[in-house]
Amino acid sequence: MSVFSQACDKARPFLGPATEKFMERQCKLLKVDQAEITKEHLVKLAWYVKSSASLIMDAAQAEKLEKTIAAG
Amino acid sequence: MKMTITNKLLLGFGGLLLLTAVIAGIGIYAVSNLRHSAQETTRIGARLNSISVEIQVHNLEAQRKATSYFLQKAALGEENARATYLDEATFEVHEIQSLASKAVQLAPSPEVKAKFKRIDTALHEYEQALDKAVAASQPNQSAKEVQDAMASYDAAGESLHETAEDGEIAGHDVAQQFQDEIERTSKRSVGLAIGFSIVGLVLALSTSFALARAILVPVRHLREVAENVSLGNLDISVHRHSSDEIGDLADSFQRMVTAVKFFRMEAETAQADAASAGGGSR
Repeated sequence: MSVFSQACDKARPFLGPATEKFMERQCKLLKVDQAEITKEHLVKLAWYVKSSASLIMDAAQAEKLEKTIAAG
Repeated sequence: MKMTITNKLLLGFGGLLLLTAVIAGIGIYAVSNLRHSAQETTRIGARLNSISVEIQVHNLEAQRKATSYFLQKAALGEENARATYLDEATFEVHEIQSLASKAVQLAPSPEVKAKFKRIDTALHEYEQALDKAVAASQPNQSAKEVQDAMASYDAAGESLHETAEDGEIAGHDVAQQFQDEIERTSKRSVGLAIGFSIVGLVLALSTSFALARAILVPVRHLREVAENVSLGNLDISVHRHSSDEIGDLADSFQRMVTAVKFFRMEAETAQADAASAGGGSR
């Protein structure tokens, strides 16, 4: 299972059916192909996730999501 | 333990069942206590009463026979009168003695015991007075001696009669005491049962209220969220009020609202991109 898929699984309880599309968008912002995402990218990816997620959910939830993804 | 709705309901109803069991326990305790008191009343009170009455009967019989001895002695002769009356009177005295001892054993309190012990003392004095009167009734005794002996015999008889009467009153008192005990126990039990019932009622009401609130508040909130989303208002936050099934439902709602918000944002962005691309090509 790729690191991207693992990150998606962790984000699913927060984002539901929008998970894959949302995470793809964050990879684009990170300028890294989703297949090439490694554990080293996770902290940066998590930061982008939090920034975007705070537009569609509570700040607290977005922060929780960031921590979950960054934890790997 | 996760506080699911099922667990909350189980706890609430379990608590009420426990309370019902406590109230039933008090009822059983009261009934058994009352039954015990009633049995004690019947057993001890009735026995002491009957002993007191028996003592009175034996006392009267002893005095009647002793008097007959003095009256019939001249006619029947000393030996015959002794055999017919005096020995019988002595037998009655021994009966009184044994009854008084039984009463002392049965008596439930020191005061009642003391009353029956006084019968024993009076009986002893009566026996001594009877012996003296018998001795004084022999020939060659002065009239003064006879008179004194008979007077002290009468006094001892009277004293024995009075103490036996006291014993009878004590028997009544014991019965009354147990009646009072029954009355007290029943009043206390009724008070306890009423108290626990009131506490139970208050607890039942507050438990029902808390349970209803625990279920209704998050359900109302979710209904409000669903209504807003259905009307297109996605800027509504979903709160998780509890960690039960309704809390899980709130999480699902939250995910759904987040996804809808994201897809709407995506659609808006795509629409804006298309519009700007269209504008640019013109």
